[in-house]
Amino acid sequence: MIRDTGLFLGHELRNTFRNPIWPMFGIMQPVMYLLLFAPLFAGMAYGGDLGQALTMFAPGMLVITALFGTMGVAYGTIYEMRSGVLERIAVTPTWRPSIVLGRMLRDVAVLVVQSFMVILIALLMGLRIGPAGLVLTLLLLAVTGLFSSGVAYGLALSLGDENAMGQIMQFFALPLMLLSGALLPMALGPDWLERVAWFTPFYHPVEAGRALFAGNLTDVSIPLAFAIMLGLAALTVTWSVRSLRKITG
Amino acid sequence: MIIDAKGLKKTFTSRGRKGTRTVEAVRGVDLEVKTGQIYGVLGPNGAGKTTTIRMLATLIRPDAGTAAIAGHDLLKEPAAIRRALGYVSQAGGVEEQNSPRRQVMFAARLYGVADAAAATDRVLKRFDLADIADRPGRTLSGGQKRRVSIALGLVHTPPLLFLDEPTTGLDPQNRANLWDRIRELREQGTTVLLSTHYLEEADALCDRLAIVDHGVVVAEGTPAELKREVSGDVVTLRLDEPERAAAVLGPLAREARVDDQVLRVYVDDGEHTLPKLLSELQEQRLALTSISLDRATLDDVFLAKTGRSLRDTGAEA
Repeated sequence: MIRDTGLFLGHELRNTFRNPIWPMFGIMQPVMYLLLFAPLFAGMAYGGDLGQALTMFAPGMLVITALFGTMGVAYGTIYEMRSGVLERIAVTPTWRPSIVLGRMLRDVAVLVVQSFMVILIALLMGLRIGPAGLVLTLLLLAVTGLFSSGVAYGLALSLGDENAMGQIMQFFALPLMLLSGALLPMALGPDWLERVAWFTPFYHPVEAGRALFAGNLTDVSIPLAFAIMLGLAALTVTWSVRSLRKITG
Repeated sequence: MIIDAKGLKKTFTSRGRKGTRTVEAVRGVDLEVKTGQIYGVLGPNGAGKTTTIRMLATLIRPDAGTAAIAGHDLLKEPAAIRRALGYVSQAGGVEEQNSPRRQVMFAARLYGVADAAAATDRVLKRFDLADIADRPGRTLSGGQKRRVSIALGLVHTPPLLFLDEPTTGLDPQNRANLWDRIRELREQGTTVLLSTHYLEEADALCDRLAIVDHGVVVAEGTPAELKREVSGDVVTLRLDEPERAAAVLGPLAREARVDDQVLRVYVDDGEHTLPKLLSELQEQRLALTSISLDRATLDDVFLAKTGRSLRDTGAEA
């Protein structure tokens, strides 16, 4: 089981790092927000104190990386279905779930590296964060990435169609991003909006990320975010493994 | 007996906007394949060939029926079957970004081959892929991709290889080349189960074959047996009144059949019967446009069993 998952993870990582330019594109959007939008945010709400503003703003950008970064990769899986690659792998005596798990762990590994680079840029811009906060943030992002990667593979494997997948992701990505409070904290809005946001998944890692960046390591939002993300990750990983079984028997 | 399948059935249900639709893809297929044979499953598109092969390859679970493959039960020991099996789908499963060597090596690892690098070298060399082994998959030609896909299925040297429409889309030269490769496999003791909708391929390549149509086996045997069953020779006539001609020539032949304004007359000894047929037509004042004498082909077998010509039903680009 572990050997097979490791094999797939290694194979996928080698594929990814042969073309390391693509993961770089994945952080373009959050980096642009940091460079070109965070200063406005600082001027608007923090009297121009960029370091302070980044504590608030950077966690949202990291969650956006997790949301969009892992979603894109699953498109490749639809191609693998059509070209017979998945089928060919499914007739080998490997442990079936490892086919999906290896790919997800690759996504998580790439995401952790991406997040680290985004944080690095934020640090250069004046963000201040303790080592414990940094490690916990990366861990939380890894679990968040596992969840969104699970959604992406589940969708890819059960739809098997790039167009349908694109439509569905377009439809959900924007409201989920807005309601996560990644751009502006939901606390700024009316009560009902924050209440709605509470029930969307990405709200929690953003809130927890802000607490971690602010150094409030005992804030209740942190264990809550971990619990919710772990639970959702478990559900979506199971779903995508099941979807694989449906197409390969 | 390396494959012994009985009563395999599979029905697909698809839910659409207009309610559920069920397709009985396979309606009870029996297959017996002896070790060391090239066994063909011949039939038009949609006959259930791919579904049958995918069931035997443990990719889809049959709704009914049993099968023993390489001595293992299909439903109870799929893992053991996967180890004994090479499977090459019609799509091929060649990755675009990866080189053949990386892909084959990775497949060898997945199969737990002891020396993956050596096994990869061996199978790449064997399929003349050594020179292009390190190019990305997307740069390969159709014939090369096909050979890579077979190398992928053979790297663990399985005793049994499934090829789903291996030569579809290949030009005649690549097709002939692939036939030779498949024959080599048989010489080395590999049993090959292949599906095809090409009559020539089934005839030239297969030791035995099952002709399938609408999810059932309509005939089974060696190509020679099957053709003998229909008749030795077939006289194909084009003329203005095929129905009347059929009635006239019927008594001289084993069978006379009109199919799409073409009259086919099945006879045991074409060379000697042909003059008699011609004189009879002249006597009845039936004007002839063209006439030809051929040995019976598998298409004639298909026609006799299903009432349709495989050339017409298999009509596709």
